[in-house]
Amino acid sequence: MLSRQSNFERQARLLQAAAKVGHAITSLLDLDTLFGQVVDIICDNYGFYYAGVFMFDPHQPGYAVLRTGRGEIGRKLIEQGHKLKIDGTSMIGWCINHKLARITADVSRDAVHRSVLPETRSEMALPLIVGDQVIGALTIQSAEHDAFTDMDITSLQAMADQLAIAIENARTHTQIQHDARLLEIATDVGRTVTSILELGKLLPKTVDLICESYGFYYAAVFLVDEAGEWAVLRAGRGEAGRIMLERGHKLPVGDHSMIGWCVAHKQARIALDVGQEAVRFDNPLLPKTCSEMALPLIVQDRVIGAVSVQSEEKAAFSHDDIASLQAMADLLAVAIENARLLAELEAAHRELVRTKTFEAIASATGEAIHWIGNKAMPILTTVKRMRADVAHAALPKSDAESLSEDLDLIEESARLILAVKEGLIGQAREHKPRPAMIQDVLKDAVVRLGIAPVVAYQIAEPVPLARVDTTQMSRAFTNLLKNALEAMEGQAEQRITIGVAPASEPGMMQVTIADNGRGIPAEDLDKIWVTFLTTKNSKEHLGLGLPACLQIVQEIEGKISVQSQVGAGTTFTILLPAITLEGKADLPAGTKSLLLVDDDDDGRRFAQAALLGAGYHVQVTPTVTGIDPWEIPGVDPGAFDRILVDQSLEQTNALDVLRAMGAASRRAVVVTSSLVVEQTKEMLQAGAQDVVLKPYTVQELAALVTA
Amino acid sequence: MEEPIRILLVDDERPAQRSMEKTLLRAGFDVNTASNVAEGLELFQQALHSPHPFDVAVLDLNMPNFEGIESPTAGLDLLEKLMQAQPTLPVIVLTAFDEVAKTKAAINAGARDYFVKGREEGLVELVNKTLAGGK
Repeated sequence: MLSRQSNFERQARLLQAAAKVGHAITSLLDLDTLFGQVVDIICDNYGFYYAGVFMFDPHQPGYAVLRTGRGEIGRKLIEQGHKLKIDGTSMIGWCINHKLARITADVSRDAVHRSVLPETRSEMALPLIVGDQVIGALTIQSAEHDAFTDMDITSLQAMADQLAIAIENARTHTQIQHDARLLEIATDVGRTVTSILELGKLLPKTVDLICESYGFYYAAVFLVDEAGEWAVLRAGRGEAGRIMLERGHKLPVGDHSMIGWCVAHKQARIALDVGQEAVRFDNPLLPKTCSEMALPLIVQDRVIGAVSVQSEEKAAFSHDDIASLQAMADLLAVAIENARLLAELEAAHRELVRTKTFEAIASATGEAIHWIGNKAMPILTTVKRMRADVAHAALPKSDAESLSEDLDLIEESARLILAVKEGLIGQAREHKPRPAMIQDVLKDAVVRLGIAPVVAYQIAEPVPLARVDTTQMSRAFTNLLKNALEAMEGQAEQRITIGVAPASEPGMMQVTIADNGRGIPAEDLDKIWVTFLTTKNSKEHLGLGLPACLQIVQEIEGKISVQSQVGAGTTFTILLPAITLEGKADLPAGTKSLLLVDDDDDGRRFAQAALLGAGYHVQVTPTVTGIDPWEIPGVDPGAFDRILVDQSLEQTNALDVLRAMGAASRRAVVVTSSLVVEQTKEMLQAGAQDVVLKPYTVQELAALVTA
Repeated sequence: MEEPIRILLVDDERPAQRSMEKTLLRAGFDVNTASNVAEGLELFQQALHSPHPFDVAVLDLNMPNFEGIESPTAGLDLLEKLMQAQPTLPVIVLTAFDEVAKTKAAINAGARDYFVKGREEGLVELVNKTLAGGK
């Protein structure tokens, strides 16, 4: 038992030590530095053999986790993740539970101490309390038995209270620094991204910047589609991002994914693979992800998408981080919206300039064509009359021959001029793109050329609609098919293969026209697109066909390319803008009776299904060689409210069909993928009520049958 | 002797008009020419009230209209007036443009045929065909 005198001395020494410790630790504002030094300061000032600080870990509820410990032993224990259950089984647990200090005079029977701290003879546990809250506990240990008395508790608890406050201060300070750093990064990222005005560059740059600035493993930007149904990946970091972009990665808006949830609820969300709600991250492309945060991109109360940030650390994100990362996401949302608006504005401007320029060119070209037509036509008619004069005049044979040759020269020149006019007139016209079944446009061109027997089709299922002016596309396809025919001239086996498929390029579809003709030599491949440059060495070829195709395809922002092998054949590949019609429109209900005169093709199947679905009475007439359609039992054209006749029929001729109908032809509307003067005139003369572009959408069909 | 077929030819392009006129004259037609729609209408009305009205009219599209202003559809304005006065008159519309909308407008307004200058040469044949069809 200590004497009263020595007891006072001891208390004074303890208080002195408390003051020293308090002074030393309250100046340590950084949490890591504080934990790094605090146990040494305590042990040195009090002369303890060991001290350790246990703290709560939000990710390991129910446990106090050792945060720092004296010396080599402390280091080892931390490495092992030493933690104690907060219950009565350990001193630390008891002390936290009861918010009270506790002394154990003899720990020699304690298994833990025997194995890891063999020199400990007595121990005191002190709760670390801030305000009302226990944040952890301090253990101090001595190599002597009975080193602590109940009287020591007061002064040591005063030291522990100071420690608790120092920890809390350092925590706050560290959090403030962390927040400041995150906000600084947010500002940096924001400043950089708002200066990028091109959406195509902005998003990839953003994911790189986020990963580099915050040190994240992966970042991605999703934007919500127009229908608001999907969050579509628009940029992803690195190889994983590239692969997912290529796959067209998208997530449904709703509760099935972090991103979907965050878009649907306009809220950030965190997922960690530690703690009670541990999430298993199993994307094989991102094997290292251990935590993820999804942040909504919000502009004026509207969610335009979401950002995903992922870390290799198990608990990389806390709820305290949301505010600063959301600040970054908000700046990003503004940048995306700005880039979007600018892109829209630029597109509108481009479209305006394009339309206006095209109008001007079309009008000037039209004028020029009118002029050429008017000026050149009299040459041919005059030559014709002069030929008749020469034939009837009593001229010496040599003079007649010479005159005749001169007339040949004039006529040839005039014909060339008119041919050029014809070659330029079509594609100079304005394009009116609309959704079109491109396979039907191709088939019509084949039928018009009468080459169905040599053509095979490879049509992918399903294939999107193309956004084209079908008359112009027909012109381009016809030129390409004519080229193919010429390339195969004289061959025993002639084969043209037409392919229609979705393109690998997003938003495009692909048409291929392949022949097994003689091919184009490599040195000529570039020349074929140049106007007036013909590789065919013939008077009939002006070198206008392929340049016209190029012009037509480029006009709608498509692409055309050629692969050829001499002796094997040529393949033209055309990329056209594809169009996916939003939603599934239905034809308004109707009761009219309709007769469709058409081959069994995609165009007819579409119209038939839509009309039948809307309640129309529909009859389809097969068109068979040599059989007058009206002789087929049960088909009386007069019995229908409206008759739709496809202009391109494989086995018969739309003109014959109209003529065979007699008076009923006044109810017939001829539908065609290519509206041209001669056929239109003939169909109208044969009695058709009208000649219109073939409907490829429900809206167009509705306009046609309800008109 | 049978009276010759009377043709009204309206075109403001002098060489084209003269060339067509000569061709039609040689083919044995009686041709009257006008260089604008007002003149054309006047010739038509005079003939309509004469013992021998026109049998066929050949009208260009792009000419000065009745107000004297160059119009791509002036020929249609004249066509409309001819059809009002004589719905059975066979009319061939001439143009250097091959526009479907104009073709439809011409046929729907009563023209028997539509002739793209430079693309088709057989004006005489077309006149004969139109006359045959009109009977």
